[in-house]
Amino acid sequence: MTEADVRDEGGQIIHLQELRRGTVVLACLRLLVRPGYGYGLLEELQARGFDTDANTLYPLLRRLEKQGHLASEWNTDEARPRKFYRTSDAGLRLAQTLTDDFRAIAEAIDALPGNDRNDSED
Amino acid sequence: MDAVTLTDRYVDAVIRTVPERQRADVAAELRAAIADQLDARIEAGEDAATAEREVLTGLGDPDELAAGYADRPLHLLGPRLYLDWWRLVKLLLWIVVPLAAFGISLGQTLSGAGIGEIIGSAVGGAITAGVHIVFWTTLVFVVIERSGAAAEMPRTTWTPEELPEVRDTGARFSDMLASLIFFVVAAAVLVWDQLVGLVYLQGSWMPFFSPQLWPWWIGALLAVMAVDAALNIVVYLQRRWTMAAAAVNAVLNLLILVPAVWLLSQSMLLNPEFWLTVIPDEGEKVFGILSIITGFGIAGVAIWDAVDAFLKARRSRR
Repeated sequence: MTEADVRDEGGQIIHLQELRRGTVVLACLRLLVRPGYGYGLLEELQARGFDTDANTLYPLLRRLEKQGHLASEWNTDEARPRKFYRTSDAGLRLAQTLTDDFRAIAEAIDALPGNDRNDSED
Repeated sequence: MDAVTLTDRYVDAVIRTVPERQRADVAAELRAAIADQLDARIEAGEDAATAEREVLTGLGDPDELAAGYADRPLHLLGPRLYLDWWRLVKLLLWIVVPLAAFGISLGQTLSGAGIGEIIGSAVGGAITAGVHIVFWTTLVFVVIERSGAAAEMPRTTWTPEELPEVRDTGARFSDMLASLIFFVVAAAVLVWDQLVGLVYLQGSWMPFFSPQLWPWWIGALLAVMAVDAALNIVVYLQRRWTMAAAAVNAVLNLLILVPAVWLLSQSMLLNPEFWLTVIPDEGEKVFGILSIITGFGIAGVAIWDAVDAFLKARRSRR
């Protein structure tokens, strides 16, 4: 389901945003196992289906860095100097915890009644 | 790029409110990010000016972005402190505003102001007191939240013991009994005061209330008090205050308040002889001041009693 499908139902968009909020953190922590910079990460997130805005991503990276989940380094090799972020050991542990939790939630949701797809298969 | 571009202005607007030591870093990163996005759009065929506008529009209000960088809340008071703030403001308003209005009217009356001036300054004073309470309390809470002190405070966990008691209906047997006892005692004191005298001074008993009140004024007062006692019995039998009962109660209070204040203003309620005997030199002046304070006391009790009955009636309607 894309954003456009639900545009006319305002309530639905808010619920979707709330559901997705924590997943961007998890995606960043796992993507930045290979060092990356702001815009590159934004592109990759969008390509992988994590709909993120630039103005939430940049402050988020800084917050994760401050908490010690990301490490950063300025790369001045290219013409345009960029700040590269890399997931720290603490960040990797957090990513593992979040991933486990996300799987548990996904399983719990699958087991819930009211799932149209499962019902029609039965 | 010699001319100041929109991007320059945007970056400047963002870092203005970011903490000093982060500024250079945030500015450099933001510039690179904007440049990256610009390049991507220009590569896709947009012209430079439109692309710049689009990128900056996408980033949104610079103050909002800066708040994100600095980890600042975008609200005045968050859920962490809101309930504490709200309870304190309510409590302070209930205590301070009536006291301010009452105190100001008392002071104005004692200094001999006219009725218009008394009401005007009491209302003005009550509003001023309310505004001050809300403003300063809010300011303190906002400072606590912004300074980060709130994060260090131990979280007060709620326990079931804090649940409010089920509120008194004011129509229990004990309430009725208390009002009947009050009626009997007050009637006895009034009659005794007039027939024998309540105060013993210089070898003789003298009445505290003016002897002119006997028998008609005192009789009327006793009659109103008897109706009030009967009303309390009715309320007990109905097991709750009704709006009708509260209205009757308010009328009864007015029936006592208005004549009492009028008598006071005519120096006919209290016995002037008593005060002249106690304080021979300044007796007259003291008597005047005391009359005003008594008047305010009676008004305070009567108004509170009337309002209280309406509150109980409203509560029991649910």
